[in-house]
Amino acid sequence: MSHILTVEKLTQIYPARRKQKEFCALNGISFSMNEGEILGLLGPNGAGKSTTISLLLGVLTPTSGVITVFGKNFFTHRSDILQSMTFASTYVRMPWRLTVLENLRVYALLYKVPKKIFMERAEELLTLFGVWEQRNKTIGGLSAGQITRLMLAKAFIPRPRIVLLDEPTASLDPDISHEVRRFVLDQQKKYGLSILYTSHNMDEVTEVCNRVVFLQHGNIIAIDTPQKLARSISIDRVRLVVATPTELKHLRAYCAQKKYRFRLKGRTVTIDIHEDHIPALLREIHAVGMLYTQIEIDKPDLEEYFLHMAKKKKQ
Amino acid sequence: MMMSWYRIYALILRHSYPLRRDFDLLNEMLYWPIIDTITWGFTSVWMTQNQNDTRAVVFGILFALVLWNIIWRSQSEVSRNLMDEVWNANLVNLFSTPIKISEWVISVLIQSVVKMCITSGAVIGTIFLLYTLNMFTLGWWVLPFFLNAMISGWSIGFVSAGIVMRFGPKVQSIIWSLPGIFFPLCAVYFPLAQLPEQVQRVSALLPPTYIFETMRSLVYTGTTPKYFMFICAVLNICYIFLAIWFFVRSFAYSKKRNLARFN
Repeated sequence: MSHILTVEKLTQIYPARRKQKEFCALNGISFSMNEGEILGLLGPNGAGKSTTISLLLGVLTPTSGVITVFGKNFFTHRSDILQSMTFASTYVRMPWRLTVLENLRVYALLYKVPKKIFMERAEELLTLFGVWEQRNKTIGGLSAGQITRLMLAKAFIPRPRIVLLDEPTASLDPDISHEVRRFVLDQQKKYGLSILYTSHNMDEVTEVCNRVVFLQHGNIIAIDTPQKLARSISIDRVRLVVATPTELKHLRAYCAQKKYRFRLKGRTVTIDIHEDHIPALLREIHAVGMLYTQIEIDKPDLEEYFLHMAKKKKQ
Repeated sequence: MMMSWYRIYALILRHSYPLRRDFDLLNEMLYWPIIDTITWGFTSVWMTQNQNDTRAVVFGILFALVLWNIIWRSQSEVSRNLMDEVWNANLVNLFSTPIKISEWVISVLIQSVVKMCITSGAVIGTIFLLYTLNMFTLGWWVLPFFLNAMISGWSIGFVSAGIVMRFGPKVQSIIWSLPGIFFPLCAVYFPLAQLPEQVQRVSALLPPTYIFETMRSLVYTGTTPKYFMFICAVLNICYIFLAIWFFVRSFAYSKKRNLARFN
């Protein structure tokens, strides 16, 4: 798979100001995005996500480093590259005195989308996002969620090859969030779109992203699939509720013998165990005749990874 | 009903704190009253000294008003265009598209020409209807006056927009206050000779000074010091290039600090 976007040794140092010291927001990070991939950009507040996005959009000039998009140097081919790279964020707005359609028309024109095609795509996307009825309303009269959906329409109308989505579902109701996620995945499949995705919703990142770049203190501390990142700090947990104190005693002894890490709470035994060993554990429990009345299996998730890393940062 | 002084004090305190750092408030309190006093003071002194041809004086002042409006509107068109994107949190949106800064500059200049034509047309029409004074009796001279006034306005606009780009939105009031300094310095409503000699030397470096002096000479004496308009054009060409260069440099500097800080 070829790299559509490559970041090499990207460093951003904000110079010292009157009351602020020099601040290193990015410390020589390198990563690449494959064609047709949804790459998540994660990290606690202040990790460098927004700085990375600003640099990729060309609204911030890096202290050093190289960004290559479509095989071209971003700093020397900015305008050409941005013709096929769009952006949507919950945290930027559009001119509030213009209507929804007027705003989208201006942006479509900046990306050289002909009027007829613009009208077709605007109707399709605004209908999908449930804001077609608001098309003649000014932005000032829209809710935060409607503006977020409008920003998404703005980003997808030019049919770009790369889209940067900065928290695209923040401020959206769960049903609309679901629609947006489905739409993003659909666009990726349909047009082979590459998407850089930031979100604070870890379930969303797990669902949508093929890989995740985890940033902390301006450094990349991991790049992997959401599942592998989650497994890197924790394993599965099997929670069994046993029927009697005798069963509890047997299970305890069994776990100790097998050297499983476990915790007891009432008649519940929680065993930390690798995913591959769960079937064997259940078979053995069954074979020795131990009875349980309830079973739950918790898989490690990205949120745990995030919390673990954020905790490490504080320490 | 009993009033509590501590509550009144709390409110006074609430509005006093920003005075220490808010340039806008200081502007309202000191800058504009001083600018107005100086400008209208010099104008009044000059008017009391010259009471011969009242109609010519009125015509001169009204023409100066039209020209000043062109400078003001041209300046405001450039800087307000930028600030409109800042106030709408649209700057990142806009400059993350393929647009180039040179394209933004050209679009602003085109908008300025169109709006200036509308504004001056409306003002000239109003003066003609209300006071039966026709600016076009001055003939073709009106065009170089208007053109030079517009370019002077653009220069001020690009400098003020550049300052905002460099220092951030906290200095945005420079957009409204910077033209004010040119109001007395360029001797808009009174002859340049009214200003102290030292100040006149500074005024000689400003293109609008030549516009207003030539205009007054034409209105009051019927003569036009052509070399004045030549100096004005040369200065204007130099300044507009310098102003755009400063704006583009400031924009590049601002990108080193992140345009997202304007959101």
